[in-house]
Amino acid sequence: MTKAPSQPTSLQHGESLGALTWRRLRKNRGATIGLAVLVLMILLALSAPLITPFDPATQILEYTVKPAGFRGNVLLKKNPSIPDRPTIVAVSNFRQIGDSIHYTDPAGEAYVIPVSSLFGTSANDWHKEPLFVLGTDAFGRDMFTRLIYGMRVSLSVGLIAESIALVIGIILGSLAGYFRGWVDDGVMWLVNVVAAFPTILLIIAFSVILGKGYWQTFVAIGVSSWVDIARIVRGQFFSIREQEYIEATRALGYGNVRTILRHMLPNAMGPIVVISTAGFATAIIAEASLSFIGLGVQPPTASWGQMIKDGYGYLAVGTNWGMTVFPCLVMAIAVFALNLFGDGLRDALDPRTTQR
Amino acid sequence: MKFLLYVLGRIHYALWVLAGVVVVTFFIRPPGDPARVLLGQHADSVSVAAMREQLGLDRPLYEQLFLYGKNIVTDGDLGRSIVTRRPVTEIISERLPATVLLASASMAIAILGGIALGLVATIRPNSWIDTASMSTSLLGISLPSFVVGLLFILVFGVTLEWFPNSGYIDRGWQYLTLPLITLAIRPMSIIARVTRSSMLDVLGQDYVRTARAKGLSMPTVYVRHALRNALNPVVTTISAWFAGLLAGTYFIEFVFNWPGIGYASFTAITQLDYPVIQGTVLLTAVIFVVTNVVADIIYSILDPRIRLR
Repeated sequence: MTKAPSQPTSLQHGESLGALTWRRLRKNRGATIGLAVLVLMILLALSAPLITPFDPATQILEYTVKPAGFRGNVLLKKNPSIPDRPTIVAVSNFRQIGDSIHYTDPAGEAYVIPVSSLFGTSANDWHKEPLFVLGTDAFGRDMFTRLIYGMRVSLSVGLIAESIALVIGIILGSLAGYFRGWVDDGVMWLVNVVAAFPTILLIIAFSVILGKGYWQTFVAIGVSSWVDIARIVRGQFFSIREQEYIEATRALGYGNVRTILRHMLPNAMGPIVVISTAGFATAIIAEASLSFIGLGVQPPTASWGQMIKDGYGYLAVGTNWGMTVFPCLVMAIAVFALNLFGDGLRDALDPRTTQR
Repeated sequence: MKFLLYVLGRIHYALWVLAGVVVVTFFIRPPGDPARVLLGQHADSVSVAAMREQLGLDRPLYEQLFLYGKNIVTDGDLGRSIVTRRPVTEIISERLPATVLLASASMAIAILGGIALGLVATIRPNSWIDTASMSTSLLGISLPSFVVGLLFILVFGVTLEWFPNSGYIDRGWQYLTLPLITLAIRPMSIIARVTRSSMLDVLGQDYVRTARAKGLSMPTVYVRHALRNALNPVVTTISAWFAGLLAGTYFIEFVFNWPGIGYASFTAITQLDYPVIQGTVLLTAVIFVVTNVVADIIYSILDPRIRLR
């Protein structure tokens, strides 16, 4: 057996597309910041219960529409139906006399209750002064908590809706670009029909068809957002199909599916990745828009659009602008970060970019 | 002859697309029985059946679809609102002027502002002006229009009290200001970005250097030589954005209580008044398809290479 000739050095020192992209991406300040913000948001969303002591749906009706930095004063009562989730009672002041607690609620009514009806054993267990960092909403729910939990909805909408769009777009785009002829004509007709509707209108239309709800929203956004992906995949396949290595797969007798999945798709990945980040951002905006007009994710699930809608009613009155501004701000930061990252990714993946 | 064939071909294809568009809009209807939604949960089955018959819902689906398409093609009839029983075309034509006014005024601002912003950015690429103008436009793309609208209401309406929060222009021009700017920001940002990248492409070409070399002033080179050739992708963006702008009015009109098509659609969505939703969505799609055909034809006049392909 003879020894195989050593490989040419250029191949040994070759860099994978991923490594090259990563190296270029790190040099791009905007993209780095965008990526950092995204990672931070994902961490926040995942660890939501650890970060905030509140529950996103718990209402403290005495504490509605409080401004940012409001500090509450509450007693925790035993809850007979759910032992580990106490009932929250807002008080303006309280006194312990023997075995009973005398307190006045924020409206000025005086009450007397036995200490035994309170949660836990010591005063530290049943008396809290919680800080509402960003204030409360119209139902006395903590804004910060709802923003963090809303992040879960927004990020999962982005992820799931974009995955649905990717599957549809890649399948249709590959079929059109690979087989051409009448398949291409059919797919492009569908693409043109769907593209005739502005995306947000199509999403609204699908939401009307599917009804309101969590999964319905994901699907409505996903099935409305595949057009650009299909177009890009088709375009990429048109040029890739002419390459010699595709001719080689045919000469080797590979099936169509194998050629498409193993040899063509990986080489079309760059533009697909770039358009996906843009789609991710669009999906987040779409979900918020849907919730804002009352379609989309339904209460009591915390969602940014829902929060903006709740705050909108108070905006014109001029009370607690934080209810509107904070969710707007968080969404803007998320989308801005995604767009910064996407721009950087596009530059890094673009073979024409001269900076190395 | 070749030009005529090209035009006919485009129109023929557009008709096929429009047929698909009609089919899609036909299916925009809420789950469940519209007749029951309309009459309430307590209605007896006889009146529900009568309502179904009145709405034509008792026929098979393909027959309903055929009838829907036939009515649109022959009479331009989009059906009646299931809430007010008024013809959808009547509702649309009543609301259309407000939307057209808002959308075209915004587009004018977006085109002028966007091209200016894009040009300023290319005077010195990668300078702070470039960075500032591109960051601004990236922010403009990142913010959904209704969010911008709400922030404007808060800052200019509630806090500074410069402009009214809501209402129609019949009460004075200042009612137009906030919705106008809000709607213009997104397309303006996109036009600015397209102008910048297209200008940078053109500025790198030989004839621009030649123009500079023969002693022309920078403004002349910019406007007469570079911008003219850089405008093509910008025009594409603008024509593609017009229908998107109409979609944008859905939210803007709701936020600012602007009595246009978007506001009517919004009301229809909350009431599940699907014929009105179908009508406005169809209108937007038709405008998009027609604009595209017209744009294609204009391009083929400007650039004969297109129709020879």
